[in-house]
Amino acid sequence: MAQPSSLLNDRRTLVFVLLAPVLAFFIVFNTIPTLWLLGLSFYNYSLTSGMPPEFVGFTNFVNIFFNRNGIWSDLSRTFIFVACAVSLQTLLGLMLGFLFWGSRNMPGRRIALTLLFTPMVLTPVATGTFWRFIYDPTFGALNALMGLFGATEPINFLGDPTFAYWAVLAVDCWMWTPFMTLMTLAALGSVPKAELEAAEVDRLTWFEQLRLIVWHHGKFILMLGMLLRTIDSFKTLDLIIPMTNGGPGQQTRLVAVELNKQAFQSFNMGWSSAYAVLLLLISIAMTSVFIHVLNLRRRRERS
Amino acid sequence: MSDRFRRGAYYTLLWSVSLLFFTPVAWIIMSSFKTREEILATPPTLIFTPTLDNYIELFTQNQNFLQQLGNSVVMSLSAVVIAVLVSFLAAFCFSRFKPKGTNFLMFILLSIRMLPGPAVILPVFLMFANFGWKDQHIPLVLFYAMFSIPFSVWILKGFLDGVSVRFDETGLANGGSWFHVIFKVVLPQVKPGLIAAFIFNLIFVWNEFLFNFVIGGVQTQNIPYALAVGTYSDGGLNWTFIAALTSIYILPPVAFIYLFQKYLLAGMTFGTVRGEV
Amino acid sequence: MTKYTTRPSGLMMPRRQVLKGIGAMTAAAAMSMPVTNRAFGQEAHPLAGRTIDMNILGIAGWLPSSLSVAMTPLFNDYVRDRYGYEVEFAFAEAPFSDLFQRAATSLATRSQEFNIIISDSQWIGALAEPGWILQLNDVIAANPGLDIDWYSQTVIDTYMAYPDGTENIWGLPQEGDTIALFIRKDMLHDEAEKAAFQEKYGMPLPQTFEDFEDLTMTDFEKVADHFNRPDEEMWGTAMQYSRVYDFVTCYLYPFMFSQGGDIWDASTGQVEGILNSDINAMAMTQMKDWLKYQPPGATNFGIAEQIDVFTTGKVFSCFQWAAVGLAMITEEMKANDQVMVVAPPKHGTGDAADRIYTMGGQPWVINAFNDEEKMRVAIDFMNWWYLPETALEFARRGGNPADRPTLTADGFDDINPWNRAYKYMLEPGRSRDFWHHPKYAEMLAVQQEAFTSYMTGQTADPMQALNYAACNQQQILFDAGSAAQSPSRSCITATL
Repeated sequence: MAQPSSLLNDRRTLVFVLLAPVLAFFIVFNTIPTLWLLGLSFYNYSLTSGMPPEFVGFTNFVNIFFNRNGIWSDLSRTFIFVACAVSLQTLLGLMLGFLFWGSRNMPGRRIALTLLFTPMVLTPVATGTFWRFIYDPTFGALNALMGLFGATEPINFLGDPTFAYWAVLAVDCWMWTPFMTLMTLAALGSVPKAELEAAEVDRLTWFEQLRLIVWHHGKFILMLGMLLRTIDSFKTLDLIIPMTNGGPGQQTRLVAVELNKQAFQSFNMGWSSAYAVLLLLISIAMTSVFIHVLNLRRRRERS
Repeated sequence: MSDRFRRGAYYTLLWSVSLLFFTPVAWIIMSSFKTREEILATPPTLIFTPTLDNYIELFTQNQNFLQQLGNSVVMSLSAVVIAVLVSFLAAFCFSRFKPKGTNFLMFILLSIRMLPGPAVILPVFLMFANFGWKDQHIPLVLFYAMFSIPFSVWILKGFLDGVSVRFDETGLANGGSWFHVIFKVVLPQVKPGLIAAFIFNLIFVWNEFLFNFVIGGVQTQNIPYALAVGTYSDGGLNWTFIAALTSIYILPPVAFIYLFQKYLLAGMTFGTVRGEV
Repeated sequence: MTKYTTRPSGLMMPRRQVLKGIGAMTAAAAMSMPVTNRAFGQEAHPLAGRTIDMNILGIAGWLPSSLSVAMTPLFNDYVRDRYGYEVEFAFAEAPFSDLFQRAATSLATRSQEFNIIISDSQWIGALAEPGWILQLNDVIAANPGLDIDWYSQTVIDTYMAYPDGTENIWGLPQEGDTIALFIRKDMLHDEAEKAAFQEKYGMPLPQTFEDFEDLTMTDFEKVADHFNRPDEEMWGTAMQYSRVYDFVTCYLYPFMFSQGGDIWDASTGQVEGILNSDINAMAMTQMKDWLKYQPPGATNFGIAEQIDVFTTGKVFSCFQWAAVGLAMITEEMKANDQVMVVAPPKHGTGDAADRIYTMGGQPWVINAFNDEEKMRVAIDFMNWWYLPETALEFARRGGNPADRPTLTADGFDDINPWNRAYKYMLEPGRSRDFWHHPKYAEMLAVQQEAFTSYMTGQTADPMQALNYAACNQQQILFDAGSAAQSPSRSCITATL
């Protein structure tokens, strides 16, 4: 970018002034706490023991590695959850997005979309509690509905280990498919109409249009949506606590649930810090993959 | 005729999908007009005489309700306004001057969003405890703002990249200050991005519970806190309270989604389109 | 946060009972409270003329907590008349599962956010060990009003002493609580049911409190079976199996304790070999078998869900904390005299049959970081709380005091329907609490996972679940320096 040379001096201060607030936020609320977290992960520190923190080196990490508190099963459970949630939500979101794409003239489209988007703005605390009620085998609407269709035995969705995990996943999908629909609509909206019309003239097949034009323009936004969903579903906590609290047994114990328990019920600050550091590394790795894919597209465009 | 029929079928399908997703919410709203006995009736009742008692009770019995609602409104609005403003400045800087390490900074900013809530809040709690910031509005608002910054920067950077540098140059050449250029020339052009960032972060802070519970306190409690605490009443599950409060609390975000829908959609294109989607 | 949205019907109930029972005495006590105090005249008090803000943290949705909150205006009257100062109370609440989190995150900052806290009994260690709450021995020595004749040693062991068996006092009972059996009296006393039961099982249907005193679980199973009619949406009984907080634990322990099982050796911190015993495995199997007499959602049942099924008439009986009696017996049930509360059955057979149930209830604890003024008010508050007339008023409103004079007063049994059962279960040896160790939350979480894993069928072998809990608890205690032994080698393979 060519800037008038007289502005050079000015520019350096300007950069600083513009970035200062964000950096201030960043340092106070991110850098300091993260360093704190990192430091604490080498200590044995329980808030309720009344003992000062004790330096233990890599003990916490070694214990995690050797599966203390069963964290590997939590991780695998979480990865399956993320994979299922993101792919299901993306698929459903794509379907609904394409469905709504051509409905510009539908009467009440704005209301219909608002209704569709409502699940994602519902307070998760209330969502979890109410879904527990809907799933309830005695009072719940879902079992009553299934009864109408001839189901004889009510299903204890959240109390039965075969169903609990999937029942929670279903609620997550209900909540976040609308988000992927929104992202799909945005992605489709970013496709220039002129190119589609040109394709029409060139008699490209529907599939070719999709592959050559829609995918080319829309994939960035779609990938971004998937990235955000991956990050967020990795953190799923506030839905699970009211619904199952990690149970039955450990069926729905995802990493965030276990971390919450270790940090704010057992107050094992040292151990939890080590766990958190590990999770941060995992998230950074996952995000890097996405960012890498996103950047590939940009780099290709530039070349 | 068949075309009209097909269109009718198509629209019916779309509406059914929307309604299907809305059904559980409708169930909550419906429950808020029922008595406790009706909510717990088996099989669940669809026909009942609506009552406003739950709402009346909400406003009269719960002395902290107005404080909680006030906290929710004030804290989410102020946090998000601060976040969007700060992010806009940073995004402008990233977009125009591309200082060294822009990509790295953008990535690192996202890192605070990557961690599960308890991991984020653990060191922040210890920090707040040591600094005496717990249960105070301003630190909590600033923390919420921090949490809303990354996403806002990302959206706004996309939009600003789409605003031609010519505008800056013309503005400066005409004798305007940078201040003038940033706020008077560029800002209005990224309105969809600002609104999208605003709404998305508002929804997050509006519904946030864990941080409020851990680093907030008696003074700063918000409505999700009230919902979590009020789930149980007198030993039983307080269905009427949850239903009524949820139904009220969902109104503002739903209204936002309805009013600013086109900005929301445009916002999520991250600036790749600036017109209507 | 105040939210005593107590159903008015609930609060009315004991009052009417009182009129039937010990009307004269209670009414006199209630009326005389401010009057007699005024007669004493004001005493010199350092806070005279001042207004002090006090914050109480209580348990959300827990009746006895909200009852105490509702009674604080009486304390205001008391100190105004007696000492000439004013108190402005504010209340915060958190649900059972989150209350410790709420208290600990605040106390860890040495904050005075909460001046008085209603703690759960098992948290005493975790609150006392870091020095967050005030040790009360000196306070009790200086305040004769707090040197009280408690109903049984169980009260002291449960709510007051830490470490177990010492004389260090950290809490004072706010609400005494035991498990009781709530029964649909109308169904039990139905002549046709009686005849049908006699016909089917060759024994009479137990009818009175005394009948249930002698009843064993084996016989009660017949009763539950008799009234278990899923086709009519009526089930025999309800217990708690939920993963939340300590719910399944509190309901499994009676099966273990009563038949000779134990959970740890408090002196050596040994868990392995004690928790994972054959008796305890059998106890788990028995409790799981009881699911067949309970509604289909029973594996999720906690306190609230039980109240929902009992008050909507879906279960014939319910093992429930005496403390939520007010919520268990609706106005309508009361009007129709539909509920009786008895002692829960014994476990085992013949002479070996015994009942040792889990203690519930909560102590008051006092924030150690209170400044002098707040401390003074907190201690005045305790003195007031244990005045005979306050204790009686608490009982009248539906609470459960734990001191001998109130519990043995004439007519106490008739104040609330559950009082007799509560008192019966509070007798020495009939109820016990479990760990007060600072690692309580962690040990509990492991165990809740293990128990619910078995109860829901995720883990088929009860011994496997017990091994998992025992090994992990042994490790927790060993890491905390409380256990002499580290987990045994076999623990490497312990999974759910």
